[in-house]
Amino acid sequence: MPRDSFQAELSALRSAVVDLGETVVERLRQAAQALADNDREQARYVLEHDHEINERYLELEADCIDLFTLQQPVAGDLRFVAASFKILTDLERVGDLAMNLGGYVTGMSDEFVPRADLVAIGELVADQVEAAVAAYENEDPEACHDVAERDDEVDGLCERAAEVLLRDLVDRAPRGTQLETLLEEVFQLLLTIRDLERIGDHAVNIAARTLYMVESDDALLY
Amino acid sequence: MSNAVDTERDTDTELTEAPSGKRTTGESDETVEEAWTDYRFDGDAKLDVENLDVWYGDEHALKDVSMEIPEESVTALIGPSGCGKSTYLRCLNRMNDRIKSARVEGSVKLDDTEIYDPNANLVELRKRVGMVFQSPNPFPKSIRENVSYGPRKHGDIEKGLLARLFGRDDTEEEYDLVEQSLKQAALWEEVSDRLEDNALGLSGGQQQRLCIARCLAVGPEVILMDEPASALDPIATSKIEDLVEDLAEDYTVVIVTHNMQQAARISDQTAVFLTGGELVEYDDTDKIFENPESQRVEDYITGKFG
Repeated sequence: MPRDSFQAELSALRSAVVDLGETVVERLRQAAQALADNDREQARYVLEHDHEINERYLELEADCIDLFTLQQPVAGDLRFVAASFKILTDLERVGDLAMNLGGYVTGMSDEFVPRADLVAIGELVADQVEAAVAAYENEDPEACHDVAERDDEVDGLCERAAEVLLRDLVDRAPRGTQLETLLEEVFQLLLTIRDLERIGDHAVNIAARTLYMVESDDALLY
Repeated sequence: MSNAVDTERDTDTELTEAPSGKRTTGESDETVEEAWTDYRFDGDAKLDVENLDVWYGDEHALKDVSMEIPEESVTALIGPSGCGKSTYLRCLNRMNDRIKSARVEGSVKLDDTEIYDPNANLVELRKRVGMVFQSPNPFPKSIRENVSYGPRKHGDIEKGLLARLFGRDDTEEEYDLVEQSLKQAALWEEVSDRLEDNALGLSGGQQQRLCIARCLAVGPEVILMDEPASALDPIATSKIEDLVEDLAEDYTVVIVTHNMQQAARISDQTAVFLTGGELVEYDDTDKIFENPESQRVEDYITGKFG
């Protein structure tokens, strides 16, 4: 096949994106685990290593731009590089949101234990990102649709978690300075729930770009 | 083949069209692989080609090509060497008539006029459908004479002693036409002070724009270009590309190019011919280069073969 070196560069890009995806999923699982165990050290690890993801993301983005410029890909090759370029941004954002989760764990108080099960949501969205990255790696359109469908589950869980949390607030509402602390806790938790929901959305974005890349099907992009 | 007009008719080939763009040839019972040529566009067609076949002797160089070319736009023809794209281009102003062994069947309509009608006026046709070739081919004459050569031949411009004897001198008209054509070809500013210089003293890129000006001076409606920039450096090439895009505001441009990026940059629609003289896919240029239907087209444009 002509253009051997170009084909090699494309497959190197695919491996690199998958590697970054695996790292991001690992960080996300570490953050969720830190939340489950109230493990501040683990959470700090996630915070302190986010820059690695950012640096790798910028390197791979530059690789994509080189491919666009030097190889001028078209058709399936173009869709692959363009999809990878977009997916990298989603992965970097998931890394940031995992870091936010770690940040929440390092700041949370020992007294307030929410009844909402954020750990389960954290694990679910990590599964979703993992599945989306695998769909990209295996060019599997069916898996893309699965990720998109499961996002309803993520949204439902997040909505219920927010509800439980607010009910908690009403039930346990104390007076004075204690209320302010509680409100701050609840506010942080609501932001965290929103972050988890967004991780789910990034997983769907990855699946949507992959589906377009593989089948030229833009169904999940809208 | 209701509209078919043959130059040298040989009727033992029957072509039948099956639905969904799939075509079969009754001649050999061989099924041609799927093709996506049913291109729909807004606006009017300038050229309407139906079931065009070309043979060079026994070689079937172009097979059952049907495509409508929209007016005032750039249509690029791409494909590997020997795929029939230049043959197709030459059919559009009957340049293939000049090749003795060539036999053309099918119909080509310019607006509503069948150009393969036995009574068609070839001079008029080639005036309406001009052509620019791969290598610049100016006449060894002055820049001015190159541009006004066509109109003088056609009798649109009369000058010189004989014309003056008959009370006509179009020197001024000629100058206006030369200026206008050179401006349209984006060459005027570079040559306006040396119109009497020999055209062969111009650079390759300037010569090619002069050939375009020469083509425009006759007042064509369609301009056929056969790899007009392949012999030029990148700067001259980008000038030709800019020019092609400008020309498409007033003219219908059909361009054969080996440079796929060039086709992607300047054309509105692209037709992909593949080995054996088949038109395999014809669609908006962005569709062809982002998301072609045909796997063979995908393989060709991504460089996996050819």
